[in-house]
Amino acid sequence: MNNYIPLIKMIIEIGMLWFFYYVILLFARGTRGVYVLRGVILIALVFIVTKQLGFERINWIFTKIFALSILAFLIIFQQEIRRGLANIGQRRWSRFLLKESEIINEITTACLLLSKKKIGALIAIERETRLENYIESGIDIDAKVNSELLVTIFMPNTPLHDGGIIIAGERIAASGCLFPLTQNPKISTMLGTRHRAALGLSEETDAIAVIVSEETGGISVAIGGRLTHDLDRESLERVLCNLYRPDKKGGK
Amino acid sequence: MNNWITNNFWIKILSLVLAIVTWFYVNEELIKEKNMTKQLYKSSIVNQIR
Repeated sequence: MNNYIPLIKMIIEIGMLWFFYYVILLFARGTRGVYVLRGVILIALVFIVTKQLGFERINWIFTKIFALSILAFLIIFQQEIRRGLANIGQRRWSRFLLKESEIINEITTACLLLSKKKIGALIAIERETRLENYIESGIDIDAKVNSELLVTIFMPNTPLHDGGIIIAGERIAASGCLFPLTQNPKISTMLGTRHRAALGLSEETDAIAVIVSEETGGISVAIGGRLTHDLDRESLERVLCNLYRPDKKGGK
Repeated sequence: MNNWITNNFWIKILSLVLAIVTWFYVNEELIKEKNMTKQLYKSSIVNQIR
């Protein structure tokens, strides 16, 4: 039995390291931190390889760069790190309580109500790529997905109705969020800012953007830089059922 | 169970690779450190005897 103890220790230690890296990579995914993280990992790997090969001078240079890059990482991303640590403590275990179909139903119902009243709306649904940067541009809501709340948020002449809302996991994360406008020259000039913002977001991320037109009341969905117009309840539900998986998200 | 494996599969694999590389690197450094301490200890004893 004693012979196996070092092996068991090794497995446990690698498991702990694996968890540490996994959480960091998940947290960095979809944020600007991922590019810096890639750089740090690359420098670390070169550092290890050069050390193994005995390239002392190169190794010395990389040791200095690596030490500096860690410091730079901590300074540049102090806000993200702070938020990440806070998230660990606030992790919402209630996420599994609300079923995927219920969330889709709430979103669909809200869109149909808004469409009937010709109230413009823009709802972005987070998928694999995290939308933290866009959430930061809006006002934190952090509420359960609820059709009445969604409709209320988009009521004209209210403080929160401008911009889009973001649904992350099973929560309405924020409202009044600003999305990048599409720069695609092929897009029809007839499309308004709301549609352009939805397309812009869907080009830059894998989010689903649902738009309700203020002029026509038509419901559209933007995914991957493509816009699908005039969806009815069934087709909207079908699109959301196929693409939205709040319980299968890795983050949050 | 299947979902747990396939969900974020590449991130899990990358994390595992990084974890293994880190573990072996640190392990090697620790062994070197131990050997160096032993050598220093031996040489200090030898000096004392001399």
